[in-house]
Amino acid sequence: MACERWRCARAAVVVLSLAVTDPAEAAQADISHILSSRLAVGTDEARVQQFDLEWRPEVRWRFDGGGRLTGMGRARYQPSDGMRTGDLGRGTYSRPSRPTRLGDRLELELRELYYERPVGGWYVSVGKQQVVWGKADGLKVLDVVDPQSFREFILEDFEQSRIPLWTLDAERPLDGWLGDGWTLQLLWIPDRTYDALPAPGATYAFRSPRLVPRAPPGVRVRLNDARRPGPTLAASDAGLRLSRYAGGWDLSFNYLYQYHNQPVLRQRFSASPVPTVEIRPVYRRTHLIGATFSHASGDWVTRGEIGYFTERLFLTDAPGDGDGVAASGELDYVLGLDWSGATDTFISGQLFQSRLSRHRSGITRPRLDTNLTLLVRRNFRNETMTAEVLWIVNTNEGDGLVRPRLAYDLEDNLEVWLGADVFYGDTEGLFGQFRDNDRIMLGMKLGL
Amino acid sequence: MRIATIVCACGLLLPALVSAGSLPDGDEIARRVNARDEGVAVSRNLTMQMTDRHGKTRTRETRAFRKYYGDDKRTVIFYLKPSNVRNTAFLTWDHADPDRDDDQWLYLPAMRKVRRISASDRGDYFLGTDLTYEDIKLESRLGIDDYRRRTTGEDVVDGHHCYLLESVPVDEETAAELGYGKVEQCVDNEIWMVRRARFWDTKGHPLKTAYFRDIRRVQGIWTQHRIEVENHKTGHRTLFLFSDVDYERGVPDALFTQNALRRGL
Repeated sequence: MACERWRCARAAVVVLSLAVTDPAEAAQADISHILSSRLAVGTDEARVQQFDLEWRPEVRWRFDGGGRLTGMGRARYQPSDGMRTGDLGRGTYSRPSRPTRLGDRLELELRELYYERPVGGWYVSVGKQQVVWGKADGLKVLDVVDPQSFREFILEDFEQSRIPLWTLDAERPLDGWLGDGWTLQLLWIPDRTYDALPAPGATYAFRSPRLVPRAPPGVRVRLNDARRPGPTLAASDAGLRLSRYAGGWDLSFNYLYQYHNQPVLRQRFSASPVPTVEIRPVYRRTHLIGATFSHASGDWVTRGEIGYFTERLFLTDAPGDGDGVAASGELDYVLGLDWSGATDTFISGQLFQSRLSRHRSGITRPRLDTNLTLLVRRNFRNETMTAEVLWIVNTNEGDGLVRPRLAYDLEDNLEVWLGADVFYGDTEGLFGQFRDNDRIMLGMKLGL
Repeated sequence: MRIATIVCACGLLLPALVSAGSLPDGDEIARRVNARDEGVAVSRNLTMQMTDRHGKTRTRETRAFRKYYGDDKRTVIFYLKPSNVRNTAFLTWDHADPDRDDDQWLYLPAMRKVRRISASDRGDYFLGTDLTYEDIKLESRLGIDDYRRRTTGEDVVDGHHCYLLESVPVDEETAAELGYGKVEQCVDNEIWMVRRARFWDTKGHPLKTAYFRDIRRVQGIWTQHRIEVENHKTGHRTLFLFSDVDYERGVPDALFTQNALRRGL
């Protein structure tokens, strides 16, 4: 624990030392807080599935030299069985990024700490921060620069479930290089943190054979520690994005060289002394090449993104596969259509597809996997009340998720909301695996 | 000096001469309003106080910037308070070419994404206020192509003489887009700014009334510092307060970009 804190402190000191080089005679601090709480009651067993209390302070200092230092923290108290801090795998965090656990129910996390300022023609941001790519809602294609916590599967807001990384982000306009209007973004990410997955037995632990291997009856399963990339600069991720606005179109071209955030679950079977499958999560390099677009015309906005991942490994249950995985390229894309032709009404539909370039028999996911989303939202009473419903369906398995929500601004800075998460479909599916986790939720968010 | 004196005298006498005789043409009034100097760029604080019919008030504090690029205009608004909407930002590129859709982007901190939004919702109310996106876009100007105008009379608002300008959408489709069946502006004939605007819905029912007050010169440019809008249908009211208005400070082009929305102020 002391070592973790020392590494985190060392990284923080680097960021803070950059900030103090900025003339601070008239540094202005801007402090705010968010207090939020959620209560979820499972409908199947009529028990409290989740109870959260969160305090999220944010401090922002502005310096005379044009720099800005931003710090965000999060204290989270979660006492419900299956959703406690200990129910999330923590071996996926690098030591400087790992939240500090106080007991089994309280967790403190430095969410973000970064210093940013113009330097020459560049705009540089260094520190722990979120980098968000892509145009899709609800599901991800290019928004994989930062890993994600799956503590609540995909139910938690991405802003909170995304895991910020220690990153150097440098951006500059490229006027004159490639023609006017281009912006270049370069990323260097030495932080070796990956997707945080629920521990076995947690409320949202993965059960679908698409995501976790299943052992035959009578065979024991042993989950070994993950094999993580070593603590060297060579294990860093790096990214590049070129973006521009042209003729009414927002375009970007993306490249990311990373250890994929999801581990490959390599398996090894040994027959003696007891039949056992040993599973070892391993992180592997991928190249991600992608692009995004968005365009508005009349009442409609079209948007989309596409990404190709090289050398992904997928679970297979073919008896001849020694390590239980098979390699393939993966092409993911999303097409979205937003309509806002009626007053205070917003309707959005998306088509997500993921296609494997090589689909060997035994791979537990289909060659072409299709998800559809539909969001209908309407504002009432001068936008003090919002009603919406989000429907996500996987057409391969026929399973899905329905998320109605009604939010009301009770006060200027106080929002209360009522919602539900309803899963349906076969338990083998991505969404159907949680069909026993349906819940009704009540929440509040207070800004101070 | 003599020429200046003559011009000045004509300026003072003109309203009196006109009001003594026939009223000026509606299009001429609109032309004068739109020809008024608004400065190339401006930065200002904008506070929006929204009060519902039960008296409950919400307040939004923002920092807003606007800059002309020829006849095109770019506007960006950054939300500062309260903290639950802080860092929300809204960017508009208004194109003078009527055949080209305006471009709009919204940054929602909860998504950490700049989102392209449709600019066709001209009649939608702007972020919970009682002015529409089109009203916000026009600022103190008048929509030329959307309306047919005629001058219907004279009135006095807050002690200032003004012409009553009746504006009717050119067709039903435009009326539906704007959400107005008729607008009556009271235009101050000395400074060519609207002092009061009354709006009717597409069915001819009174919709809302806006007063433009605390108009004074800032760096030589007539500037409204207070807009009061009351929606007669809902009882909802919005008070817009402008402060720290500056036309000379300089507004960098980089503010009107998606990156600026994401970074915030």
